[in-house]
Amino acid sequence: MEKEYWRWPESRWTAPDIDWKSGDIISAGVDVGSVSSQAVVMVDGQLFCYSNIRTGSDSPESAQKAMDKALEETGSTLKDVHYTVGTGYGRVNVPFADRAITEIACHARGANFMYGPSIRTILDMGGQDCKAIHCDNKGKVTNFLMNDKCAAGTGRGMEVFADLLSIPIEEMGSLSFKVEEEPEPVSSTCVVFAKSEAVGLLRKGWPKEKVLAAYSSAMAHRVVELLERIGIEKEFAVTGGIAKNEGVVKRIEAELSIKALEPQHDTQIAGALGGALFAKALVEKQRGLR
Amino acid sequence: MMEKFKEWYEKRHDYAQEWKNKTGGKVVGYFCTYVPEEILYAAGVLPVRILGSHEPQDVTEPHIFGMYCPFCRDCLAQGLKGKYDYLDGIMIAQSCLHIRQTYTSWKIHKPVDFSYYLPMPNNVQSKRSLPYLKGELEVFKKAVEEWTGKTITDDDLNKGIEIMNTSRALTRKLYDLRKESNPPLSGLEAMYAVVASQMVDKKDYNETLQELLEKLPRRQLENSSKIRLMILGSEDDDTEFVEMVESLGAIFVVDDHCTGSRYFWNEVSSNGNPLEAIAARYVERVPCPSKDWPERTRIEHIKKLAQDWKVQGAVVIQQKFCDPHELDIPAIIKSLKEEGIPAQFLEFDVTVPIGQFKTRVEAFLEMLGEEDLY
Repeated sequence: MEKEYWRWPESRWTAPDIDWKSGDIISAGVDVGSVSSQAVVMVDGQLFCYSNIRTGSDSPESAQKAMDKALEETGSTLKDVHYTVGTGYGRVNVPFADRAITEIACHARGANFMYGPSIRTILDMGGQDCKAIHCDNKGKVTNFLMNDKCAAGTGRGMEVFADLLSIPIEEMGSLSFKVEEEPEPVSSTCVVFAKSEAVGLLRKGWPKEKVLAAYSSAMAHRVVELLERIGIEKEFAVTGGIAKNEGVVKRIEAELSIKALEPQHDTQIAGALGGALFAKALVEKQRGLR
Repeated sequence: MMEKFKEWYEKRHDYAQEWKNKTGGKVVGYFCTYVPEEILYAAGVLPVRILGSHEPQDVTEPHIFGMYCPFCRDCLAQGLKGKYDYLDGIMIAQSCLHIRQTYTSWKIHKPVDFSYYLPMPNNVQSKRSLPYLKGELEVFKKAVEEWTGKTITDDDLNKGIEIMNTSRALTRKLYDLRKESNPPLSGLEAMYAVVASQMVDKKDYNETLQELLEKLPRRQLENSSKIRLMILGSEDDDTEFVEMVESLGAIFVVDDHCTGSRYFWNEVSSNGNPLEAIAARYVERVPCPSKDWPERTRIEHIKKLAQDWKVQGAVVIQQKFCDPHELDIPAIIKSLKEEGIPAQFLEFDVTVPIGQFKTRVEAFLEMLGEEDLY
């Protein structure tokens, strides 16, 4: 079988020092995106465990798999979870969710937890769409913009380029800086058009690092436009899969002359994390604590 | 209670054909709400507004640019596919180039007995537009007389004015009911009513609405806790979109669309020369953005609607590639924001990406909502 350059590593994590059995509220968030799915479980508002997997063709199954993987080896099961919020484009297809909340609200809430209450602008670069979100100090959305029905500037576009250039997706960011001089960006960020433009550049004899640089900067430029439309307020952070690609993130930072906050956790879990935090609040409401 | 309007909307072609069979009269399809229906009613002709079907189609590509708005392509498709073959005439009043292309292409490919281009002035803010339009209406009246073989008297014109004004006043009453804290009708129902009014004989519409207005105030719905939204922008009869938004705990209470409030908002004042009165109504009405310059008068109107109908948020939605609206929308959104009304901007295509729109609208409602999960 041919090497799958696009394939990014699935992951899971458990907090080393949390005894879930002594927790009052066990809450979960499951984010079923178009490309990846995550599950986050919290114990009394503390991050307990999470998983990040590829979304399959079946949303309910992906939700279940993400949850199983998050809870793996923790000794706890889905039955121990008091409340689950589903989010992401498959949010209504999470069979065990008690409620669905949009990924826009969840990302803001999750980013507020991950980066602290000073976060104001969040750029979520997801698998198949891209959102610029403003929020207040509680992580409540105050404004947002979403790109149109097009995969330009998204994770799926980067996957297509990984395969085209035969570069493992995790190495794309650093390789995109291995150029003597920053090339002009490709003129189109449309995945299909950019791909044919890239093929043309390769034929012209461009090294693949240079093509990658040209694509990464086009992608950065496109999302900067989205951010400029909504207005950038400090502090700023990037979430989603592309947040792991320094080739795009550093170019966004350079265009904006602003630094993105450093993530403490996997940037892809922001949505599921927000869902788990909402789930906690909803349990408290049910118990009359709010 | 309001099913009749939905039925008319869905069976618009059956209605028009039955009307022809019943009355033996002529039907004119029109493309823009600057067409003075008063004069057609005065001649005993039924005006029906040509609208799209919101279905994907593959017939307009050779005839109209892909970067013209989806609405004008959808309308042309209806003609090319023969949905409006019963029409005796078509007409347009100058508004934007996209819809004019629809009219021109339709005229070439679906020739009808009577086709008329009314050069409605664009600079309605100029003092000279009223005498100009009055003159054009005289020419138009003559053309209709020649076509129908019937002289249109002042008395006929006054009757045309009266039926249009009655319809406008009744629809306004329907909209006024939506001001209540628990509106007795949904935005979807209001949309069916106002759009149907552009498809059927005003006589039928007025009678039905009159009866309904007697019953509606007693209708009790559970609308008081819903988020009150306004919808504004270009042509919009997208019932699927409205239904989706209203399924998420929101209610549309008012609109600024040419298929909605802009269609009926202003009446013809009935004194003096009828043609001049008609001309004045079209010059002074709440304008289409293609005519709202150099001053943007529509913004004040929109702000007033938002205030009077106690709107919490606005959905600003336009046909993709509609330049006149595109030019106004940043200014409108800014003004609404200054009034404390957040807006969500969306773009229509022939079919809407309902899933993605749902995410955006839901997120917008979560943002407006009072629920404290923080």
